[in-house]
Amino acid sequence: MQVSTKWLKDYIDIDLTVEELAEKFTLAGIPVENVIKAGEGLEKVITGRIEELKAHPDSDHLLVCQMNIGEENLLQIVTGAPNVKEGQIVPVALVGANLPCGKKISKGKMRGVASNGMLCSADELKIESDASGIYILPEDTPIGIPAAEVLGLDDDILEFELTANRGDCFSVIGLVRELAVLTKKSAHYPEIMIDEDDEQYAEDLVTIGIDAPDLCSRFSARVLTEVKLAPSPDWIVKRLEGAGMRAINNVVDATNFVMLEMGQPLHAYDFDEVQGHELTARRAVEHEPLHTLDDTNRLAKGGELVIADAEKAAGLAGIMGGFETEITEKTKTVILEAASFNSASIRRTSRAVGLHSEASGRFERGTNEKGTIAALDRVAQLLQGMGACKVCKGVVDVYPDPKPEVKIKFTTAQINQRLGTKFSDAQIIDVLESLGFKIENIGKVEELTDEVVDKFAAATKNIGKAAREIKKSDVEDFVKNIGATFGGLFGKKDAPREKVQDKAKESVEDFVKNLGSTVGNAVKNVDIKLSSTYEATVPEWRNDVTLPEDLSEEVARIFGFDKIPSTLPKGNQQGHQSSAQNFIDKIKEILSGLGMCEELSFAFTSDAMFDKMQIPADSELRRAVPIMNPLTDEAPLLRTTLLASIFENAARNYSRKNEDVRLFDIAPVFFPKDLPVTVQPIEKQKLAGLLMGRREPKGWSQNSAQIDFYDAKGIVEELLAGLAITNYFVEAGEHYALHPGKTAVFKKGRDILATVGEVHPAVAEALGIKKKIYVFEADVETLQKFAAKKFSFESLPKYPSISRDLAILVNPDVAAGDIEKVIAKSGGAFFKGVTLFDVYTGERISADKKSLAFALEFRSNERTLKDEEADEAFKNILSAVEKEFGAELR
Amino acid sequence: MEQKTLLEQKIKDLRGRASDAIKNSASNLKELDEVRVKFLGKKGELTGLLRGMSQLSAEERPQIGKIVNEARVEIEQLLAEKNSELKTAELQAKLASEKIDVTLPGRRVHEGHLHPLTLTLNRVKEIFVSMGYTVEEGPEVETDYYNFEALNLPKDHPARDMQDSFYITEEILLRTQTSPVQARTMERYKDNAPIRMIAPGRVYRRDDYDASHSPMFTQVEGLVIDKGISFADLKGTLEDFSKKIFGEKTKIRLRPSFFPFTEPSAEVDVSCVMCHGEGCKVCQGTGWLEILGAGMVHPDVLKMSGYDPSKVSGFAFGMGIERIAMLSYGLDDMRLLYDNDVRFLKQF
Repeated sequence: MQVSTKWLKDYIDIDLTVEELAEKFTLAGIPVENVIKAGEGLEKVITGRIEELKAHPDSDHLLVCQMNIGEENLLQIVTGAPNVKEGQIVPVALVGANLPCGKKISKGKMRGVASNGMLCSADELKIESDASGIYILPEDTPIGIPAAEVLGLDDDILEFELTANRGDCFSVIGLVRELAVLTKKSAHYPEIMIDEDDEQYAEDLVTIGIDAPDLCSRFSARVLTEVKLAPSPDWIVKRLEGAGMRAINNVVDATNFVMLEMGQPLHAYDFDEVQGHELTARRAVEHEPLHTLDDTNRLAKGGELVIADAEKAAGLAGIMGGFETEITEKTKTVILEAASFNSASIRRTSRAVGLHSEASGRFERGTNEKGTIAALDRVAQLLQGMGACKVCKGVVDVYPDPKPEVKIKFTTAQINQRLGTKFSDAQIIDVLESLGFKIENIGKVEELTDEVVDKFAAATKNIGKAAREIKKSDVEDFVKNIGATFGGLFGKKDAPREKVQDKAKESVEDFVKNLGSTVGNAVKNVDIKLSSTYEATVPEWRNDVTLPEDLSEEVARIFGFDKIPSTLPKGNQQGHQSSAQNFIDKIKEILSGLGMCEELSFAFTSDAMFDKMQIPADSELRRAVPIMNPLTDEAPLLRTTLLASIFENAARNYSRKNEDVRLFDIAPVFFPKDLPVTVQPIEKQKLAGLLMGRREPKGWSQNSAQIDFYDAKGIVEELLAGLAITNYFVEAGEHYALHPGKTAVFKKGRDILATVGEVHPAVAEALGIKKKIYVFEADVETLQKFAAKKFSFESLPKYPSISRDLAILVNPDVAAGDIEKVIAKSGGAFFKGVTLFDVYTGERISADKKSLAFALEFRSNERTLKDEEADEAFKNILSAVEKEFGAELR
Repeated sequence: MEQKTLLEQKIKDLRGRASDAIKNSASNLKELDEVRVKFLGKKGELTGLLRGMSQLSAEERPQIGKIVNEARVEIEQLLAEKNSELKTAELQAKLASEKIDVTLPGRRVHEGHLHPLTLTLNRVKEIFVSMGYTVEEGPEVETDYYNFEALNLPKDHPARDMQDSFYITEEILLRTQTSPVQARTMERYKDNAPIRMIAPGRVYRRDDYDASHSPMFTQVEGLVIDKGISFADLKGTLEDFSKKIFGEKTKIRLRPSFFPFTEPSAEVDVSCVMCHGEGCKVCQGTGWLEILGAGMVHPDVLKMSGYDPSKVSGFAFGMGIERIAMLSYGLDDMRLLYDNDVRFLKQF
């Protein structure tokens, strides 16, 4: 919605600048997105007449114009516009102009011909989006005057970005209403008076019906006769242009003007083209043809609300009128429609057909159902004022179920409590009344607030306790005894006894009866202020206010959010992360400490990526969740493996010559429970890492060796150590994207802790990476399952340890890990650890052997170990490896 | 008698020659040692002289012995002095010869880095955890109910336009906000139990990928529910947070707005982190930067998740971590954050 400040000032006397207005509206919840200052950028644009037009000597599409701009000499301008003719008056941007579209005009030559300015299109002046040609001004436009004046751009414009709830501000009067409250000035709205033609009654001419009351709650119509179609007067044209609409003819302009002014969309039908002179709001049937105003033939889906005459649909209700019933030169009689349509239905249809109009925007936010007749009257008044029609008597109004007034009960304590403020009753009521709410005091509080209840409970606690302790027998005894006492007093054993008893009973009953008021007085004494309960009647134009909470917002926004104090919630609570979140943080900390950079990647992937990664067709990783409306066809699936993302990032880095890459990613992947999906998929947190390039950063004295499998494996080992996961084993494994001979699986029992390996050369090639890549992946939940929950440390040894080196020759296919297992098993009680420190194959040993050298450590926790004991253990280890692997001592 | 004088003469001569040899002819430690051997060694000259003592009388012997000793002490002292002088010179020469080019670069290791969004999110989490908030989570693939309906956004609500979604089915979608975690948390806590939580996480909207939009981004949603929670509490909390994340001098401004899940609702601006409110390119001259949406939880939202709005009230807020990271680090293109260029990642 955009509106000129001049239009606002028609109804309210304000002397605020456009910026001040924008700020006032914005801080009251009616956001102004943009301010267009009068004639901004048009300072050096004037009107000029094309006196002479010649073809450019060196171009077949350029024209050389001699422009009369009201000065002695003509101005030569070269233009490429196709629509110019001699004698036309057009906007001319002079040298130095800085146009609203961003173009800066300077002296120049176009293909060798001097050009001293530019002829402007509507788009370049930002008056309309038409960029097809130069904006042609009326023939009687004076020459050499500022173009802003003739274009009606001498007015400041406010562009609003209205929130979905404030349909009432989708009109000039709605905005003025707010402005009156914000500036505490009174507004003066147009007085609506029409002179009805007593001869003809509207209801005799047309029939109006509603067949779908859930989608159309009200349909009001007037009939105008002896219509004379003509251009609108200047002031209406200017107002429309200021609001970004173009003038068409007086009838259409009047309906648009009133829509902008009052917020009620209207539609004008050519009475003679409406078959049967009847209009009905009904649902379209499936494939019903619709010929709309834009001369497009559409087919209804079925269920959309249409306005139909006796034969066919004559328009999509609230969105676009019908072609046949459009107002034309031939129109003599007009049916004016002002209706109220269901916002959800309008929204659905408007989205489905891709038509968004000023009218549909208003219906989507909701219009004022009570305002239809006033809008009809206003259009009639305007047209009558132009002498363009006669107005038939009466309105045909179908309003089967009038909307009841909305009433909200509230207390000011409720509002203050929600806002954290201390506004007085008078202040709050004043704000609400100024916004059009009717406020009635309906007495004392009905709903007790917690505070009141607490105080009441404290005051009555003792009374209640005492009352509970009185037993029935006590009362009976009291009554009995009092009778006896009286009897004894008068010396007559039985005579007045019953009477006295009755009297006593009465007084006890009185006491109980009065207990209530006694408690009431006690409560008064504890100084509880019971606030009044009010009832607010919501003004008919505010569809968004239905609850006391809504009233609190009205109060807050009118006082200003800056008037609300700043406090902190009372009470203390212990903040924390979950152990799963802490665990992920810990992994990130460890990996970044190991020289890895964290990446963040989108959750999308594709079959093409799965192909590159060589994921087998029957793998569960191929069963990815498809997105119904992906952003691009290249990413239609939710990823099932983080490798898809990390590979993509590695390839991107590689293509940018970043060849030393160490990345890791922790994020969920998605597995469908069923396909096609009917329930939420399973989400699993995964970890992936990737390494390629140099082992050490490039440097004059640094090792230029490339990373290999064992670097990647080392990272995984360090990670597991950092997470205190111990006693796992590693074995050769298989992985779809990895080198079959260079894949290791870290296991604990049956669970796989991690997989690490060199990327299969075919995968690397598919990724476009001509380098060895190493990756690892792990399931975060599995890691957490085996991570030590509590940190514990091992005390430093008290006694020295003894080392022995074991160098053996074995067949090349014996796995070092298997030898280590045997060493650990056969090492005896004092065995503390083994470190493989040398692996050798080459000339110095026989070609079918490899040499492995292990450092063995022995230690006792109780005493200093003797050499012989270490020798003994060493011997046992040696004989075990000899036996198991045919190892020879080297 | 003559013998004694002769010896005395020889000793004196020896002292002179030794001193001369030490001072002038020994130019390094090896030569000095040769001098020592020549004069003081077992077969040296001084020992040789002592052998001549046998011809002396008993009275003369101690006298000569004393002179010989004095000569030895003197020569030893000279040797020691020369030795230390030579050692110093040699050390200096060695040090001089060991000089290196200290301007050559040092040896570096590959350094790892957390992603700037993680760093920013960690700061946000720290601030709220220190204020007593728990960190809650929920699924990224959500049901329409939790993502929209439980937040008072029924189907066909115009506010749904604000969030174009990625749908898996009509009823299942990639969450467009982390607010569904609020509803899930309320359902878990129940019985109007007080809640103080934040829900950080990835969210998805069908936006084009450009300098200020991304189809996936990171949001932190906050929710506080208790007896008597007010809009003033919300304002104070956000003021506190803004100062902690952007600096003590940061001011905030609340503008009324509309979200279906809060009432009243506000857009929250902080004073521009670049120009501190003066007006600059980053804040487009306004002095303010929009960073948050917030409000008092709508009673219908409380009701839908089993809380009683007549007993408790609450506030909620939501912010984009990308925006905060971009402001903190002065980034001008959101795509840098998801590009994962290692040259970028290594700067944080």
